[in-house]
Amino acid sequence: MQRYLVPDVMGTLARCGLAAVWLISGVLKAVDPDQTHVAVRAYDVLPEAGVEIVAAMLPWVEIALGVLLVVGAGTRVVAVASAAVLLVFIAGVTQAWARGLSIDCGCFGGGGAVAPGETAYVEELLRDTGLVLLAAWLIVRPRTLIALDTRGT
Amino acid sequence: MGGASRNDKKRRQEASDRRLAAAGIRPEAKSAPDRTPLIVVGAVVVVAVVVGLAVWFVNRPAAEAVAPAYASEVSGAVIAAGTGPVVIDVYEDYLCPQCERFAERYGDELTAALNRNEITVRYHAIAILDPLTNPEGYSTRAANAVVCSVPAGIFPAYHGWLFDSQPAEGSAGLTDEELIAAGTELGATGNFAGCVTGGTNSPAIAIETGTAAADPSLRGERGFGTPTVAIDGTKIDLNRTSWLQDAIAAG
Repeated sequence: MQRYLVPDVMGTLARCGLAAVWLISGVLKAVDPDQTHVAVRAYDVLPEAGVEIVAAMLPWVEIALGVLLVVGAGTRVVAVASAAVLLVFIAGVTQAWARGLSIDCGCFGGGGAVAPGETAYVEELLRDTGLVLLAAWLIVRPRTLIALDTRGT
Repeated sequence: MGGASRNDKKRRQEASDRRLAAAGIRPEAKSAPDRTPLIVVGAVVVVAVVVGLAVWFVNRPAAEAVAPAYASEVSGAVIAAGTGPVVIDVYEDYLCPQCERFAERYGDELTAALNRNEITVRYHAIAILDPLTNPEGYSTRAANAVVCSVPAGIFPAYHGWLFDSQPAEGSAGLTDEELIAAGTELGATGNFAGCVTGGTNSPAIAIETGTAAADPSLRGERGFGTPTVAIDGTKIDLNRTSWLQDAIAAG
């Protein structure tokens, strides 16, 4: 399989990169549930009950996606789920920007309202778009090295 | 995919298999699609959701709110609730979302300890987020209203209402009319409406905010912020969830 080595390595890097992002962002959110609640509420989209549920589950779902990517189990399915979650994040940040809200995305912990000059919507959207591209690679070509998916081959 | 095109695909597949067979190549038998990854992924995500819900359920405050049974009095912009031996200073801005979280997380615990006369809570009405509403100034108006609520005899209930109805940062905030209507509904006595519209306590709130912001012992990593809790002049780390029980045990 020597001739597939380059795309395999690229896929593996995409998988590990996405895994690292999910694990770090998930753990940072999980250790500070109040801050996560504030961050979710600041998007001003969901009713209070929805904020409670999303803030409670989001960190753990992120950690789950990260763990699955680390071990390389169901990479294509996880990549689809990752892209879906990222698109929701992009939609959330975009609506906050469009409505003139002044918030931090809370992507890696933190979050909530910030002073009007301190928003970073462009950086946040570019980063999320980059992560969607990593997920897209894995959806198109989920084959990677050192993965449970490719055990025995 | 329609039935016709599926048949078509099958026919072409068979034709190609025949050609391969004629050339002496045997294609690998196609096994049923492997659903293992889907099942593994599904199982792990379900576990994550269950963990999330369990953590939320454990941290959730009791549905049955503790009824307050303590007296409170006001001096300047500081509301002293209860008369217990352990004195806890709480600095709150009524627009601050973390203060709402603090009230939600520790409100019942504080009320229960106040009812048992174990603690005195000195609520400092702070306004550091005035620029974050449009028009500016909701923090001061809300802080003024909560100080007004003490002589009006509706204090702990009004304090709770302010956080339950907390407007979003960047919004207009609650109007004076809304602040007054809620007080009237809770049974405010005296000239509560005049106290709210007149901004009676605004100067005291400005002084209290300045004093708190200048107090080095209240400073966190990024200066003074809300909520800040101090016991005997020492800032409490609110990440230690047992801070209140520890303080009562030590006091």
